[in-house]
Amino acid sequence: MEYVSPEGLRLDGRRPMEMRQIRAEIGAVAKADGSAVFEMGNTKVIAAVYGPREVQHRSQQMSDQALVRCEYSMANFSTGDRMRKPKGDRRSTEISLVIRQTMEACILTHLMPRSQIDIFVQVLQADGGTRSACINAATLALADAGIPLRDLVTSCSAGYLNSTPLLDLNYVEDSAGGPDVTVGFLPKLDKVTLLQVQNLLNCVILGRFSALVVGKMDSKLPIDTFENVMQLAIEGCKAIANYIREILLENTKQLEYRRGL
Amino acid sequence: MEEEGKVRDMVTPGEVLGKASDVRPGKGTYAVPYNDLVYASLTGIHHSVPPVPDSTDQRPTVEVTDHKAHGAVPETGSVIIARVTKVMAKMASADIMCVGSKAVQEKFTGIIRQQDVRATEIDKVDMHSSFRPGDIVRAIVLSLGDARAYYLSTAKNELGVVSAESMAGATMVPISWTEMQCPLTAQIERRKVAKIGG
Repeated sequence: MEYVSPEGLRLDGRRPMEMRQIRAEIGAVAKADGSAVFEMGNTKVIAAVYGPREVQHRSQQMSDQALVRCEYSMANFSTGDRMRKPKGDRRSTEISLVIRQTMEACILTHLMPRSQIDIFVQVLQADGGTRSACINAATLALADAGIPLRDLVTSCSAGYLNSTPLLDLNYVEDSAGGPDVTVGFLPKLDKVTLLQVQNLLNCVILGRFSALVVGKMDSKLPIDTFENVMQLAIEGCKAIANYIREILLENTKQLEYRRGL
Repeated sequence: MEEEGKVRDMVTPGEVLGKASDVRPGKGTYAVPYNDLVYASLTGIHHSVPPVPDSTDQRPTVEVTDHKAHGAVPETGSVIIARVTKVMAKMASADIMCVGSKAVQEKFTGIIRQQDVRATEIDKVDMHSSFRPGDIVRAIVLSLGDARAYYLSTAKNELGVVSAESMAGATMVPISWTEMQCPLTAQIERRKVAKIGG
């Protein structure tokens, strides 16, 4: 199938290096300590953060750092096709774990010993890149909750189809079976904290990155191409980080204004 | 931008606030040892506090204050207001309601042990003639205690029962540091009374 037309346009009319429209909103759940909605094109995700609060199960309490928990779920209406088991499937468990590890790496957990931070993310609308959108939403919600963070971790995916590196894959491109990477990135510290690879062979080079590598690797991709795709994803992360910063500053300004400062 | 001065003071997590050799990391910031930089960890207003004149460390402290109202948490040494829930022979338990002047958002329980009720004759204290369930007590946090409760102390003149109801249901008037009187029935009840004001 042709994913990039001879004119250089993708199925949804984007250029190869173009991201989908992103939109974010802070404070979507009034009861939560922090919350956010994050949209990347037709992918829409809501995140809510509770805590730091008392640990629910005392056996999990840690005396030197906070316990971070994450629950990922997909709304039944988020995709066109019907889901058999809405919760507790392997995919959700895996994504919950990925988000938890990514967020745990950027939260200053040692400042909040004996406490627990709960992150809930739900996909309202799925169109590829849900794990990236979830990480971005969770970051925004954590920042809104006033939880100390090392940096704003952002995530973006990139793939390689029709000999072209593509940024921010949508569902059709994602399920095309080509190689793709999902990157979690700390923009100010310039560090990759998450790297998930799918359908990729030459992964020996990954030893360079102190990151988590999951996924099956069977299609071939030369190293230099991989570097290009990876760099593209990192650029995407940076763009998202800039947008998230803008949203946070705008929100802070609004709060200032309402307080009459 | 028209409000450039304002925008510059607002920071988001991960932004560099200065070199660790020039500034001291305060609240809402953190320092990374290997590259000698201080970063913000919160979203909010960034300001620097000049150092204390006589201190050895002459670096100004950078702080970031955010807009979230975090619930107060009792710490060792903080003065708290609690309501007594249960009085036993050796101790009384109480629910902490305020830390300093701030109300707590979640439930914290405290325990006043017999030896922490007053400063003198600590072994002759009768808990039942010091507190009753429902009394409002001002106390100091001795330690974080065990997993269940904070250890509280009322062993100071200004600590103890600040408000109590009599059997008749009226708020009692303190008449000495061990006694309170009901204004309706003139009945005298025994409490470890806090000395308030002069």
